[in-house]
Amino acid sequence: MTCSCEKQTNGRNIFLPTLAEIVSAQMITATEKHFTLRMKDGAKFDFEPGQIVEAGVFGYGEIPLGLASSPTVKDSFELVVRVVGKVSSALAALGAGDTMTIRGPLGHGFPVSEFKGRDVLIVAGGIGLCPTRSMIRYILDRRDDFGKFTLFFGARTPKDMLFTDDLTDWRCSTCMDYHETVDRPDDRWMGNVGVITTLFKKTKDINPQTRVIICGPPVMYKFVVKELDALGIPRSNVFVDLERRMKCGVGKCGHCQINNKTVCMDGPVFRFSEIQDLEEAI
Amino acid sequence: MTTRFLSDGALKQFVQALMAKGPVIGPVARKSRFVFAALEAPEDLRLDYDTTILPPKKLFFPTKQDLVKFDSPSSFSGCVEPKEQVLLGVHPHDIKGIDMSDKFYAANIPDSNYLAHRAKTTIIGSNVQKHYKHAFFGSVCRELKPQGHDMFLTRLKGGYLVEVRSKKGEELLALGKFEPASREQAAEAEAVNAAAEKNCPEKLNDTSDSVREKVRASFGSDIWNELSRDCFSCGSCNIVCPTCFCFDVQDEWNLDGVSGVRSRCWDACLVSEFSEVSVQGGSENFREERAERYRHRFMRKAVYLNDALGGPACVGCGRCSGACTADIANPTVAINTIMER
Amino acid sequence: MPKPRVKVAWFDFACCEGCQIEMTNFGEPFVQLLQHVEPVEFREAMSEKTTERINVAFVEGSFTREADRARLEEIRTRSDIVVAYGQCAVSGGINALKNHMDDYSEAVYGKDCKRPHLDSQKALPVSAAIKVDYEIPGCPMDKAEFIRVVSQLVHGTTRVYQPSYPVCMECKRRETVCRYDDGDHCLGQVARAGCGAPCPADGIPCEACRGFVDNPNEAALAKVLHERGGLPKKWADTKSRMFAANQRGDA
Repeated sequence: MTCSCEKQTNGRNIFLPTLAEIVSAQMITATEKHFTLRMKDGAKFDFEPGQIVEAGVFGYGEIPLGLASSPTVKDSFELVVRVVGKVSSALAALGAGDTMTIRGPLGHGFPVSEFKGRDVLIVAGGIGLCPTRSMIRYILDRRDDFGKFTLFFGARTPKDMLFTDDLTDWRCSTCMDYHETVDRPDDRWMGNVGVITTLFKKTKDINPQTRVIICGPPVMYKFVVKELDALGIPRSNVFVDLERRMKCGVGKCGHCQINNKTVCMDGPVFRFSEIQDLEEAI
Repeated sequence: MTTRFLSDGALKQFVQALMAKGPVIGPVARKSRFVFAALEAPEDLRLDYDTTILPPKKLFFPTKQDLVKFDSPSSFSGCVEPKEQVLLGVHPHDIKGIDMSDKFYAANIPDSNYLAHRAKTTIIGSNVQKHYKHAFFGSVCRELKPQGHDMFLTRLKGGYLVEVRSKKGEELLALGKFEPASREQAAEAEAVNAAAEKNCPEKLNDTSDSVREKVRASFGSDIWNELSRDCFSCGSCNIVCPTCFCFDVQDEWNLDGVSGVRSRCWDACLVSEFSEVSVQGGSENFREERAERYRHRFMRKAVYLNDALGGPACVGCGRCSGACTADIANPTVAINTIMER
Repeated sequence: MPKPRVKVAWFDFACCEGCQIEMTNFGEPFVQLLQHVEPVEFREAMSEKTTERINVAFVEGSFTREADRARLEEIRTRSDIVVAYGQCAVSGGINALKNHMDDYSEAVYGKDCKRPHLDSQKALPVSAAIKVDYEIPGCPMDKAEFIRVVSQLVHGTTRVYQPSYPVCMECKRRETVCRYDDGDHCLGQVARAGCGAPCPADGIPCEACRGFVDNPNEAALAKVLHERGGLPKKWADTKSRMFAANQRGDA
């Protein structure tokens, strides 16, 4: 009798990263830093919108981050780090010319083929804009492949708004129907105030065949899904992007396991109908 | 399949011959318990052990294992340096546990940090001569037969019946004075192993399939609060389990502040920091209550991994029952209670 | 150009100074550490004192006299980073054993008990008086952990990972025979790990000298200490006071 591992190769060291050089880096809010990176060996970095990487600094560790740029951009990719802990602080201390380690792309992104030819609605709350930006930019770069494109973005305050250059473009873009809101306005805020679901009143013609992406704080999901239910959008056409602590990113360490799924391998993008009954998912 | 007989005297000589070739890891006494450790003398080998504190997976998946050494932010290398070793005296249900970790680490994206060590290990199993007080391997995971071993020893009068289970095992025959085995001896060995399964001190009352269904259906039940009331969330049940594979990864610097090592360490889903979402001690934890973490372990053992592993992720060794000072981890108690409701 | 050495100083409050002694027992790693740090005040090992700016201040001992508040505040003002080390500084430690009593003074000091220098209040952690940036628990603190934390601090880490799980995890990982299997008792189930569990490996029960984990199951502890560990009921109920008095539900 042979053990199952003898039939295979011995695998590889799944923890060996590749090096990426930071092309540019800037703080885009008080706590978020935006990086543009290039693989050091000049290798191409192909990925699907919605996939993640383990980004790290030796001596500190690694954290999972959603890719924030579109795979249509070939020579570089973008990440956003929110400074909360040891690793994110170390990453945020890096600047242009520095090196960070990358493992990935990991997991399953948005099933782009299911979105093609369809209307698309993306609902992004707070830092949820970062991973969905890979899809937003992808759609804008391949605009003819998709139907009507609607984007809802909500932030806690105007100061928490990410990618303000993008937002400026999107506000006056004819390629998309963009709506935004903040929970707490400041003196200069002229736009919508309220939770993200208030934006559903701002737009008409979201047809039941629309493919939807939701990404944001966990509390947001069930309220947004309620609105989608009312619009007659089947939950099998709704995709969510989940966040968990991940140590390995390849389904071994167990940290991101919910029921029989691991967020790193089966996700981070899940069809809502597949996880709506999984306790601990949302 | 080749069958042989190895007398007690010949076993000692065989072990000595194995030790001459490289490290031989077997059950040895530690105070009132046993552990798998490198033999210093053939006499240290205690094939009459009941169970070991930790399961043998530690030989391929050490409790702390270096993964990547780094000299600077951009200079690093892997740490996989497997060495030939012989693992001697593994009970059949522990071999099933190894089979499961083999499957787990080889699945999807195979992990050389485990598999390379595993491939260099020769495994010689042995029958259960004495039951651990909490063993219930006779009534769980019966759908799987032990696979990944090279030779198996069953205690008979005056020596051992030797069953060769692989080519690697066949080659071992050259190292000892193996005698022909009679048909009666082979039959006796079969009876000895069947009796070991039958005579386990504890047992699950239901089949894996019915357990899986009922335990899954009880996800929202109050029973988890009840069963986990005395749980310390200490993680002992995880750490001693042959089918717990979870780990944490941490970096450590050397004093120079530049070089260091990234390593993994056995982790436990029972402890609260395991399910924290981002920062340590932060506000988000997706299994915040001890009952939720207690439940997760049983779900993982009885439900979540069954398809991936080919059976429940529990081989009935009883280590968790013995390791739990609050006496609430015992699967035969918890699962039989759930099944009776 | 080599980085300038980090200026460090040690200060002690209500304690036995055992953690400072432990530090002088370091040997080789401490000598290596000295390449990166420059001690400017360290009562157990040097006579110099300082009034200058300190990069990292190590504070030992509990805050048990209101009169100490000003000195702690002065240390805080002069220091970039304050590290509370040793269990007295981290949780009040063994000194907090007195916190649930009001008649200890006479029992300990007899007729001298009213003398002014013996006046003290409840023993509290240093963090009850000033902001503490890092904590290195233990009685005494663990040498290896001290080196690990400090070497990361002096190299600029802003957060250091310290386990929040219990000592049982470390005992199991090193295959120590459980004290309960040897007919003994132990507090490992609720004790904060990070020490590497040396005591049970030497056959000594864990006394939780690093304090409690975040959410200790105190009811289960009392039950297990009594029923399995064989301690009398009252002792089982109060056993964890030794080092975790301020962390107990009845603090």
